[in-house]
Amino acid sequence: MNKGGLYFHIPFCLRKCNYCDFCSYTGVAEEQMRDYVRALICEMKHVAPRATALSFDTVFFGGGTPSLLPPELVGELLTAARDCFQIERDAEITLEANPASIDGGGLAALRALGVNRLSVGIQSTSDGELSALGRLHTGREALAFLRLAREAGFDNLNADLMYGIPYQSTESAKRTLDGVLSLAPEHISAYSLMLEEGTPLFAKKDVLPIPSEEEEDAIDTLVRTTLSEAGYLHYEISNYAKEGYPSRHNLHYWHSDPYLGFGVSAYSFFEGVRYGNTRELSRYLSSPTDAICDEEVLNESDLAYEWIMLRLRLREGIDLDAYRARFGIDLSLRYQKEIDRFCSMGLMRVSEGRLALTESGFRLSSGILVDFLDA
Amino acid sequence: MTDQQKRTRNFSIIAHIDHGKSTLADRILEATQAVAKRDMEARLLDNMDLEKERGITIKARAVRLTYKTDDGEYYLNLIDTPGHVDFGYEVSRSLSACEGALLVVDATQGVEAQTLANAYLAIDNDLEIVPVINKIDLPSADVENCRKEIEDIIGIPADGCPAVSAKTGQNIEDVLKKIVSDIPAPKGDPAAPLKCLIFDSYYDSYLGVVVNVRVMDGTLRAGDRILLMSTGATFEVTEVGTMEPFGGLQKCEMLSAGDVGYLTASIKTVSETRVGDTVTSAERPTPEALPGFRPAQPMVFAGIYTPDGAKYPDLRDALEKLQLNDAALSYEPETSAALGFGFRCGFLGLLHMEIIEERLEREFGLDLITTAPGVIYKIEKRGGETVYVDNPANYPSPDEIDTAYEPFVKANIITPSDYLGGIMDLCKERRGVFLDMKYIDTTRVELHYVLPLNEIIYDFFDALKSRSKGYASLDYEFDEYRPSRLVKLDFLLNGEQVDALSFIVFEENAYTRARKITERLKENIPRQMFEIPIQAAIGTKVIARETVKAMRKDVLAKCYGGDITRKKKLLEKQKEGKKKMRKLGSVEVSPEAFMAVLKLDDE
Repeated sequence: MNKGGLYFHIPFCLRKCNYCDFCSYTGVAEEQMRDYVRALICEMKHVAPRATALSFDTVFFGGGTPSLLPPELVGELLTAARDCFQIERDAEITLEANPASIDGGGLAALRALGVNRLSVGIQSTSDGELSALGRLHTGREALAFLRLAREAGFDNLNADLMYGIPYQSTESAKRTLDGVLSLAPEHISAYSLMLEEGTPLFAKKDVLPIPSEEEEDAIDTLVRTTLSEAGYLHYEISNYAKEGYPSRHNLHYWHSDPYLGFGVSAYSFFEGVRYGNTRELSRYLSSPTDAICDEEVLNESDLAYEWIMLRLRLREGIDLDAYRARFGIDLSLRYQKEIDRFCSMGLMRVSEGRLALTESGFRLSSGILVDFLDA
Repeated sequence: MTDQQKRTRNFSIIAHIDHGKSTLADRILEATQAVAKRDMEARLLDNMDLEKERGITIKARAVRLTYKTDDGEYYLNLIDTPGHVDFGYEVSRSLSACEGALLVVDATQGVEAQTLANAYLAIDNDLEIVPVINKIDLPSADVENCRKEIEDIIGIPADGCPAVSAKTGQNIEDVLKKIVSDIPAPKGDPAAPLKCLIFDSYYDSYLGVVVNVRVMDGTLRAGDRILLMSTGATFEVTEVGTMEPFGGLQKCEMLSAGDVGYLTASIKTVSETRVGDTVTSAERPTPEALPGFRPAQPMVFAGIYTPDGAKYPDLRDALEKLQLNDAALSYEPETSAALGFGFRCGFLGLLHMEIIEERLEREFGLDLITTAPGVIYKIEKRGGETVYVDNPANYPSPDEIDTAYEPFVKANIITPSDYLGGIMDLCKERRGVFLDMKYIDTTRVELHYVLPLNEIIYDFFDALKSRSKGYASLDYEFDEYRPSRLVKLDFLLNGEQVDALSFIVFEENAYTRARKITERLKENIPRQMFEIPIQAAIGTKVIARETVKAMRKDVLAKCYGGDITRKKKLLEKQKEGKKKMRKLGSVEVSPEAFMAVLKLDDE
């Protein structure tokens, strides 16, 4: 059986960003964080007996702002996780951190606890853009924080960047890229800013100077060329990494591997069922072992489609033999027409037994994936 | 004259739109106790829902009413008429079944364009006109002025004509009295050879075709062998009778000269019983048919398709059913590379086309895609052969054509003189040839033009209405084919011709139309993964061009554990939208977009 990943959702923030529709709470006292960690441990213990056959090679603390959690609590969680599950010795242990949420000592403490990868929310180094997003740090502080992480001993860093921020231009994006690249993080994620209904940014979308489609397109081109020149591999639609540094945890999602999520709004995929917990903190705290509020039982055809949908996000694409072995379907026959068409348009390629999107295909993946959905 | 004839009156009601024709008909039915007031579903004569909604009468209907007076009973046959230019021929046949007409005039509006046009039509058919001034219950009613206008403008005496309120029922009795006193009793010799005018017919699934007739001469009984003079077909009459309110049929022993009624004779389709045709006896035929017969002639053609190809058989069945009742509707299968299987349908005019479309959608629950309406072109080929083309797909290539002809109509427009300039400009823009004009009174003008039919079906009504604030009226009839400079305009998406978009157009209008359609295509075709050139071409010559740019890029959203379900749902939704798309060549276009492109409004 494939190895899997463990996910902990830490829903605490100093302040909610203007674009954020993730599950997070502000103004939470340390005592409540302690209660939350206890609830997480409770949920883990509840799930553990069912997952004895599984071993885990990644752990991910996502949020929210997990770096707000006192390191000792992170330590408690890791200890409990090791008690409950088989966690590999060389597991990738990632924690998401925001600049201005933790100091050098804290970072060193995390490192000492075994956290070996830090994912830093930079988004931009332009102060105007950062304030439009409602981030609590300046560009200078963001870069300083990356440096601090290095000094604390992290040799596997991710920087999250964003496209399509209000006031963003190709020039400002270039400055952000140059600043971040000067610190040579091993991994860079670059996403479009999503304007989600109900967020403060959504309400202001018509008054803020949000880059046009053309401008965002130009920024995307700049990001891709700059990062490729700097030696990063565009290994997933919105992720770049130096050789050997793709996010092993996120690869589990795209490889349809099992994963167990703990905490509010956390999702698990286990034994063919994907299920997610409540987004309500109070409900979770009162019954962490009975928090599932969304559940999807996936049949073979769902799994077969998700395999395509998720693997085509990856540069490596789909191993056609492996797909046939898993689902008994010869993709190159079943979707011959679509594959030929997209190949002739330069959006797809088939080589060495793998079907994958090209760089141009990455940019139009939704339209392509639709044609792989059976009617 | 028989006693029966002496006691019969055959009449129609004519009016400008909204002057209260249907309401008056309702009151007359009520006053003759044909219908109890509480049972009165407004506008009984208009059987079809569509007619009620549009406030127009699509097909003629007739009812027989019994009016009791101190002097005994009178039989009043009220023959309703359709009220639109597309059905001008049916109107004239309905009128020729009558001896008189009630001309309804709104006391608040006075004589209007259609009042006049209808009055002329009645005069042409030698009818006795009984003016009825309506809506006297309204505060702004001006009965005296109305009388004056009727006398001055139409030139018929209005002194002592009934002034009524069809709404409240006030003075309706006056109308009935006038019908009896002023409208002549029908003439005709019951002993002469049979001669009946067909003024309507409809299909009934039990009886076959029910033919509405006015007996001019002779008598008609069940068992008689009849001859339909235009086709030479003979039938044995199975039943005769009269039409009662509520559409009921009252069987009777015989119909004779002067009567209005129905016959059935196991006739299978209404196309065999053409409006205007003469029914006579097969044994003792009349030597001469009634004048004025003209077979229903579709003048406007369009392709009708269903967005869902699987609905093709339903469309065929629906057209078949509609045709049972509508001899003017023609259809034959055609295929389009872009739209799949459909039918090339022929209509009397644009309104007729709209009515058929609406009935297909409403009564049969079909979604439709209709191609741009066109006319029948006459082409003399180089080799001397003459062909008639009703489908752009069959239009010969330019080097095969010696002379191309397009149909012209004689158009009669009545408008308040304030809008004269704008309307004359419109006619000029539409290649109209001015014939003459005359002032009907100081404020109203009647214009005569010869216009290409193709221009009339291309949003002429709308333009006429907008330039006259809705006051101008139009009727037209086919005149002749005239030589014309015509070209076939094709449209190409991504280099591939989309057959369903082609149309024939006057050469000088080609560029403007080409620009308009290419722009609309650009607006309505969603960006796709590749750039789509849109071209309008005459033969191989491209005369207009637009480009739909390629889709740029997706929003680069993340996709982790909790995002997967959402992402999948999004793709499934996209897929649903895509399923409704039509492939035009290699380009996907939604039916809505396609229809937006084909829509005619453009001013």
